[in-house]
Amino acid sequence: MQNLDNLKDIWKSQGESSIRYTKNDIHSMVQKKSSSIVKWILIISLLEFILPNLVFVFTDFEASRVFYQKYGLENIMKFYVVFHVIIIIGFIYVFYKNYRNISSESNVKILLSNILKTRSTVKYYIYYNLTIMGIIGLHMFYIVYHSPQFLEELPANSSIIMVWIISITFLALALLVFWLFYRIIYGFFLKKLKKNYAELESNDLS
Amino acid sequence: MTKELEQKFAQELEENQNIIHKVCRSYTNNEADHKDLFQEITIQLWKAYPKFRGDSKFSTWMYRVSFNTAISLYRKSKRTVQTTVIYDNLKELEFHDYDESADKQLNLLYKAIYSLNDIEKALALMYLEDRSYKEISKTLGISEVNARVKMNRTKTKLKNILNP
Repeated sequence: MQNLDNLKDIWKSQGESSIRYTKNDIHSMVQKKSSSIVKWILIISLLEFILPNLVFVFTDFEASRVFYQKYGLENIMKFYVVFHVIIIIGFIYVFYKNYRNISSESNVKILLSNILKTRSTVKYYIYYNLTIMGIIGLHMFYIVYHSPQFLEELPANSSIIMVWIISITFLALALLVFWLFYRIIYGFFLKKLKKNYAELESNDLS
Repeated sequence: MTKELEQKFAQELEENQNIIHKVCRSYTNNEADHKDLFQEITIQLWKAYPKFRGDSKFSTWMYRVSFNTAISLYRKSKRTVQTTVIYDNLKELEFHDYDESADKQLNLLYKAIYSLNDIEKALALMYLEDRSYKEISKTLGISEVNARVKMNRTKTKLKNILNP
């Protein structure tokens, strides 16, 4: 086994694999559904696109409308919704374009890079969602806590600073849960691919 | 038309299935995973087949799709059976002129390849199959110089594994 050329001889001496498939086996195989990582990435990514927006579906619109009216939040919320929809459409376009570029016929490096690119689009989408949630949350707190209606309703013995601290803590916790959830899924799928991509990138002298 | 294409595909794949078996055996360490990976490669090949125009050899194209599937697309199944020994217990390959020591050596070689990382596995396979550096660089998407550097490293690693 010492000589590498011997290895080639051993390699070439191997006969046919004991696992053999007939044409019929191959016919039934092509009817089966792929379980490739790309399919899973697509399913999870679509969920990641949909889930944050499902929050709106379960929102009690009437209660929200009354709340926004009471504290003068209507216009600013309209602005945020329009802004958010435009950004989402942009993300979906880029995600779809990246997904279309994934082909098993490209070279290994390009394929890995395209899969990682698709995931990073979703990564930016998640970061965008976390940021916009944070911004809207803080903006709403600011407007509500500075409104005369709120200050009037605030019990005399409570401090506005405590209200801020509690609100920000809850907001930060919610964002943290989202982020951790995302990191777990992301790490699970991409660890191997990232490692392989780094291996191809290293020492590239071209 | 699709039926004809499927017939042609099944025919070509049946004749060339050994290539896929070699890739599967290098990237998995039990029979169930081997079969899973074979199936996923077949599905990927079939999906890409209508676009295959014969610009490259069928075997070259098969290698490319097989490596892509093994390295990037295949999600190893959860049932990582108490592995490594399983293949040893199977008489995986039949020899025309059966030679026990050659069989043992081949098993050792496969075990050594399996212990390499995913990219090195592809390099080792292409080395053993006498593929040119041009083809290796095109398959992996790296420069020929880089392919040579990586190949040398892989060969050294393989040698060290086989001669501890």
